Amino acid sequence: MTVCIVEMPSYTYAVKGEKLLSSRGYPCKIKRNTNASPGSCGYSLFIYSSSEKAVSILEQYRIPYTRISYGGG
Amino acid sequence: MLINFDNAATTFPKPLCVRKAVAEAMENFGGNAGRGGHPLAMRTSAALYSARETAAGFFGASPENVIFTMNCTYALNMAIQGIMSGGGHMIISGIEHNSAARPAAALAAKGCITLSVAPVYADDELTAETFRSLMREDTKAVVCTLAGNVTGQIPPWKRIAALCRERDICFIADGAQACGILDIKMSDGINILCTAGHKGLYGITGTGLLITDGRYPLTPLIQGGTGSSSLSLVQPGLLPESLESGTPCIIGAMSVKAGIDFIQKQNISRIRYHEENLCSRFISRLKGIHGAVIYRESGAAYAPVVSFNIGDIPPELLAADLAEKGFCLRAGFHCAALAHTQLGTQNGTIRFSPAFFNTEHDVDALANSIKYVLDSEKYQKNY
Repeated sequence: MTVCIVEMPSYTYAVKGEKLLSSRGYPCKIKRNTNASPGSCGYSLFIYSSSEKAVSILEQYRIPYTRISYGGG
Repeated sequence: MLINFDNAATTFPKPLCVRKAVAEAMENFGGNAGRGGHPLAMRTSAALYSARETAAGFFGASPENVIFTMNCTYALNMAIQGIMSGGGHMIISGIEHNSAARPAAALAAKGCITLSVAPVYADDELTAETFRSLMREDTKAVVCTLAGNVTGQIPPWKRIAALCRERDICFIADGAQACGILDIKMSDGINILCTAGHKGLYGITGTGLLITDGRYPLTPLIQGGTGSSSLSLVQPGLLPESLESGTPCIIGAMSVKAGIDFIQKQNISRIRYHEENLCSRFISRLKGIHGAVIYRESGAAYAPVVSFNIGDIPPELLAADLAEKGFCLRAGFHCAALAHTQLGTQNGTIRFSPAFFNTEHDVDALANSIKYVLDSEKYQKNY
């Protein structure tokens, strides 16, 4: 399963994003990044379902993110 | 025996749930929030966020707009210096605590801003009109307490906030004596709410909150580690981290969360009713004492605080004698130069400030002790 990894600019927004997506039925989890990225807080949202919809929800609620990548589940 | 009637300084005792939360935080949340991916850091981070959420829910804000500070003074300094960093005109009320008045006065003394002080009258109409008349084209912010710390007077702050909103002026509220007793919501017109965590919110000392609606960005007072954008030398702009450099007081934040939970469980209206009843009871007992002066005016609204004097007796002297009998009341000027100037209390006052855990029996015991002390030879001879 492909996992969408959304790097977050702050831990606070990572939790906010996680709660928002979980409440909308998009399973996700906050994990520490394995590769440190300069603009990030070091945490990412790992989204285990339809990533496009999930990311659009983050954008709709103005939850900022720094980068999106994809990895194995 | 100690009976604390100095809860306006800091509430004591703290609820059992707060003490338990502090112990639990010491046991379980010993990591650093927002820094690191190991279990200790992750659960501490989640705990701190939950404290943010609780405070946000209580005041009607977004969790990311809740900034933990070390006290209300720090929050007010962040707000005043942050908003006024580019200069402009500022208005503060005439009953502000030094925590707001001093940073504002310091900026004015350095020539960075111009400052007006708006007296607060018993007549709300007159107070609101005074604020309105002082507002100018270059007025950037108004600082107004939600309840004065000397007499407990509640200014017509919702009307003042509305005047600010009409003119795009940032309304900064000092909620130190109001939060946890009066039902305060950001939607009442507050742009930035500064409050203590250790007073009416029943957290431990060393805690405070700055809550913003995000409309007026603040220049941070200090910069440093935020756990984010670590390779950049530029302070990140996102709240709350941009205003929370360095490790926050996580144990303190958890105590504030537990304190707010306690207030919500008890019901804030019930807490206010209880404390107002104690004040009314104390006032009625004071009225039976010859020479008692109570600093309350008809027509004005008050939070549960009573400032008083007995004739010419120095407030500090009477407070010291009551302290010997186990009663904790604060005498003097209460870090409020403007309020005492407005009251004309050259020696200050004695302040009675009850909290949730005080009882009618405590009030009666205090009133009896005041009478007993006043009947002593020292007072009969000299006053």
